[in-house]
Amino acid sequence: MSSFRAPPRKGENFELSADLNSEYREKRKDAIKKVIANMTVGKDVSGLFPDVLKNMQTDDLEQKKLVYLYLMNYAKTQPELVILAVNTFVKDTDDSNPLVRALAIRTMGCLRAEKIIDYLCDPLQKCLRDDNPYVRKTAALCVAKLYDLKPELVVENGFVETLQEMIADSNPMVVANTVAALTDIHIAAVAAGSSQEVFVITPTILNKLLVALNECSEWGRVEILTALARYESPDDRESEHICERVVPQLQHANASVVLGAVKVIMIHMRNVHSENLTKQFIRKMAPPLVTLLSNPPEVQWVALRNINLLLQKRHDILSNEMRVFFCKYNDPLYVKVEKLDIMVRLAGENNVDALLSELKEYASEVDVDFVRRSIKAIGQTAIKIDEAAERCVNVLLELINTRVSYVVQEAVVVMKDIFRKYPSTYEGVIPTLCANLDELDEPEAKASLIWIIGEYANKIDNADELLGIFVDTFTEESYPVQLQTLTAVVKLYLQKPEGSQGLVQSILNTATKDCDSPDVRDRAYIYWRLLSTDPGAAKAVVLSHRPPISLPRTTVAPALLEELLSEIPTLASVYHKPAETFVGRGRIGVDSVQQRNSSELPDDRSATQKALQTVAAGRQAENLLDFDDVSAEDGQQPSGLAATTVLASTPAAANLLSGTSSNPLDDLVSIFGSVSMTPVQPPQPANALGGFGSPVATSPPVGLPAAASPPVQQASSNDLLGLF
Amino acid sequence: MAIDGLIILDATGRPIIQSGFRSSTAAYPLLHIDALNHAIAKSPRPDDVDPVLYVSGASTEGSSACCHVKYGELRFLSPVSGDVDPLYAFAFLQTFVDILHEYFGSISADTLKDNFDVVYQLLEETLDAGGHPLTTSPNALRDIVLPPSLLTKVLSVAGVSGLASPSANSHPFASPIPWRKAGVRYNNNEIYFDVVEALEAIVNKNGTPAVSTVWGRVDCNCKLSGTPDLLLTLSNSHNLNDASFHPCVRLQRWGRDRTLSFVPPDGHFKLMEYRYAPASTTSQHQVSVPFALRVATMNIDENGGTFDLALTSRLTTRPLENVYIDLFLGEGASGASCVVSHNASWNFDPKSLNLHWGIKSLPPSSTFSLRGSFTSSMKTPRPARAFRIRFEIIQHSFSALKIEQLKLTGEMYKPYKGMRGKSTGDVEWRW
Repeated sequence: MSSFRAPPRKGENFELSADLNSEYREKRKDAIKKVIANMTVGKDVSGLFPDVLKNMQTDDLEQKKLVYLYLMNYAKTQPELVILAVNTFVKDTDDSNPLVRALAIRTMGCLRAEKIIDYLCDPLQKCLRDDNPYVRKTAALCVAKLYDLKPELVVENGFVETLQEMIADSNPMVVANTVAALTDIHIAAVAAGSSQEVFVITPTILNKLLVALNECSEWGRVEILTALARYESPDDRESEHICERVVPQLQHANASVVLGAVKVIMIHMRNVHSENLTKQFIRKMAPPLVTLLSNPPEVQWVALRNINLLLQKRHDILSNEMRVFFCKYNDPLYVKVEKLDIMVRLAGENNVDALLSELKEYASEVDVDFVRRSIKAIGQTAIKIDEAAERCVNVLLELINTRVSYVVQEAVVVMKDIFRKYPSTYEGVIPTLCANLDELDEPEAKASLIWIIGEYANKIDNADELLGIFVDTFTEESYPVQLQTLTAVVKLYLQKPEGSQGLVQSILNTATKDCDSPDVRDRAYIYWRLLSTDPGAAKAVVLSHRPPISLPRTTVAPALLEELLSEIPTLASVYHKPAETFVGRGRIGVDSVQQRNSSELPDDRSATQKALQTVAAGRQAENLLDFDDVSAEDGQQPSGLAATTVLASTPAAANLLSGTSSNPLDDLVSIFGSVSMTPVQPPQPANALGGFGSPVATSPPVGLPAAASPPVQQASSNDLLGLF
Repeated sequence: MAIDGLIILDATGRPIIQSGFRSSTAAYPLLHIDALNHAIAKSPRPDDVDPVLYVSGASTEGSSACCHVKYGELRFLSPVSGDVDPLYAFAFLQTFVDILHEYFGSISADTLKDNFDVVYQLLEETLDAGGHPLTTSPNALRDIVLPPSLLTKVLSVAGVSGLASPSANSHPFASPIPWRKAGVRYNNNEIYFDVVEALEAIVNKNGTPAVSTVWGRVDCNCKLSGTPDLLLTLSNSHNLNDASFHPCVRLQRWGRDRTLSFVPPDGHFKLMEYRYAPASTTSQHQVSVPFALRVATMNIDENGGTFDLALTSRLTTRPLENVYIDLFLGEGASGASCVVSHNASWNFDPKSLNLHWGIKSLPPSSTFSLRGSFTSSMKTPRPARAFRIRFEIIQHSFSALKIEQLKLTGEMYKPYKGMRGKSTGDVEWRW
């Protein structure tokens, strides 16, 4: 890197330097363009700083802009040189051309050099009261940047007060930018731990915002909608009013305005008690969401993720629109996957036939991943709609007859779930399934088929033969298959003791002696002990009645769902995770979430906070230094989550969990509010995450197992634990 | 609500132009570029990469996400940190692309490189260093960033660059209406409306549409002097569902009596978008597909297959134009040979493995056929389960939307108004 004190003597920069000092205006301008071009591609042109600076005073606006661009790029590395430019900047803020004034004030805000900032305040003060709205709106954003660098300067000069006055500006663009600046300052202040609210939305400000909402640019509308979402209305009348004023925004062409409006309505609708009005708002929200599907796939995807979330809360909003979600052959996979999920959510008795013929079509496509998901969706439909189960089974049978390996395997896995949901209903298909035994090479499919054979061992004549195949290759199979084989053989033995004694003997031998998985070994020992001591107990355990399965209505915990819905268009709602778990701005984490919680909140809201904290605690768990006595409370939060999920449905259960108090709110506080009441436990981050990952586990109905853990496994081992 | 910046990548994944990223480290944009390129390289099909890519540890403060879209050969990236609405990023990217279109006509790596100074100025004007979009209305932008026109080139050659800035510059944003320039003057006051409707349909094997939707758009080219206040009444407006509008349209008025009341921006703009659903007696609200495809034979044999197709227009008055029928022949497809009707063409694209069948014009009620076979290196080839058929119909709209009346207030002249209709279709036909 060449120092600016010793200009390069040859090469491109040397020539540029000569050109920058040329007496011809055009040559100088061209040289500046070349410098900027080099800067863009990452070449070091910092050595030309003094030469470029000389070209700053010019009447040519374009040239001025280019020089400013250069300055912004290198101000950080060469602050002492930027001082030379200060006079020109200050002079420019007095220029007769408003564009020049705005440009100067904007550039000064962007330079991020300490020395410049001291000179910024006076011109900024002036520009905030400029006649021209363009200058005013530029200056408003500049305040936010100044706050980022030196908050105390903003406070000293009373800029925040000026901004608050500017919300009443006559120009809607200025209002929008002012709101954006105030929001930025607010966020920065909260992140820095300031206790004082910088941007309090009073009813007067609220009205100004609602007026400006209809008049400013799309970006301004998003800013205002974000601010409106933060406002806590004192009564339901005002909430209604806000909703009504925001509803027209649903017809805006810009998708982010539409989803921003959805968010505001979802938040303020919580206060609207009139069921009629709520329904009306919901009805108005649905069509704009569907319209978003005419956009490019990226926007579609974000819209679909959000629709998915909305449907979990309000499954009736799009019930007549399922066809819109039919997948096209050339949709990207990420869009197809979301559409599938939504279609199953929308499935009902009236549209299940259309859905099934569509899913069958998808199952014959080329894309393996999509085909598998489609077959899964058929299974989910069967479990969701009792009346359609038989039709689903027929479709699955047709698919099995195609003999395409991955189709057959996935169909077998899905059949297992259907057998669980409707025991002893579709035994007729078992021979077809067994006929495909040789096709199976995936552990999950094998385990599923073995489970089915074990479950219906007394109905299948050659069950011992079929299981014998797996017993022979026992040690070569994967653990899930081994576990299933073990259980199935024991089931067979308990139902048809005659003829299967040898089989059970050999598998127990192999499993206890030659198997290297402790899980398999332990289960074999337990079975062995059971069988040898009390066959009656063994029957009670192994052949016990299994709890029915159902399709989980939500994929996230109810409390978390509330939180996500109020975050609607943001990343949190796209990833279906609270923001705290993936974007850690500064110290927003367990601490700040807890701070938020400390204030008294309405019941359901605080439940939400708690679910959030649990997740955040899990996220931060690796940072052990954080776990002083504050975090000792975090260790208890797994139970907090369990309590909150139950609480949502039955407050009584929460009482049981947390103690004796009759007020649910007190209980919530006692769960993790006071360290003194409950013994300090070590943090259990793994549990915290586990609790979040499978909300199903905390509620009685066992969800559709998607992963490689067949339900019987869970059920039987649970039963065993209960026995001992 | 703010994005972190904007990066434009060329076809090979190298950055051409990027915004300042002043509040983050130099590595921040690079990490996002790298993450995206990596994800694309890893994915079997580049289009299947999640549009919001999770990038961990890109900033010192935590993780961030990278929103990206593809336009032509270029990729536009917008990193976001914090809990930001990804649609906000996508909407901005789309707006920026539209602006580039306005300025340069076509967007390619070369045009961007040739005009990088203009692109840079546009970036500065549209995106604040803090990530807030600023001026994105083309009307206002033209005042502050000069488009690269012949005039400016001539002036710069002549060496009179001071003149290049128009006199209107002295009062930018003087207009009380953010989307409209003040002081526009035309000798002939004209306004044109283009109704463009796109049919998107999926048709089942038996020829009945599983889903068919018409997405409509009204584009407007406005050349009116002064500050005209227009009131547009449409026929059939009750059939338009889920409309969304340009910010200039007064939403309350539409809600009340379904008329469009607005002060238009100057020049080209998109007035409204809608979904057309005929208020028919059938519950499905389906629009019928204007042709039928008969798949007489479609045999898959070992290492190839044969097919025999016939496409019949169901229209009675207008021809279907620029009809393209595509079929993906499956992995391993190596060639095809076909016989087509007169005035049609076919070819096999060995890169995309697609069979294309093109018909320049399909007259009303006529039938075109395609017969042939293909070969494949796979033992059992698996061609796509559906044909993709695209077409255009000139002077036609599915919704039969018409302008009933255009009233102008606020100015003294009487404008000339014109309206055109055009329909396109993108149909998936399963066999």
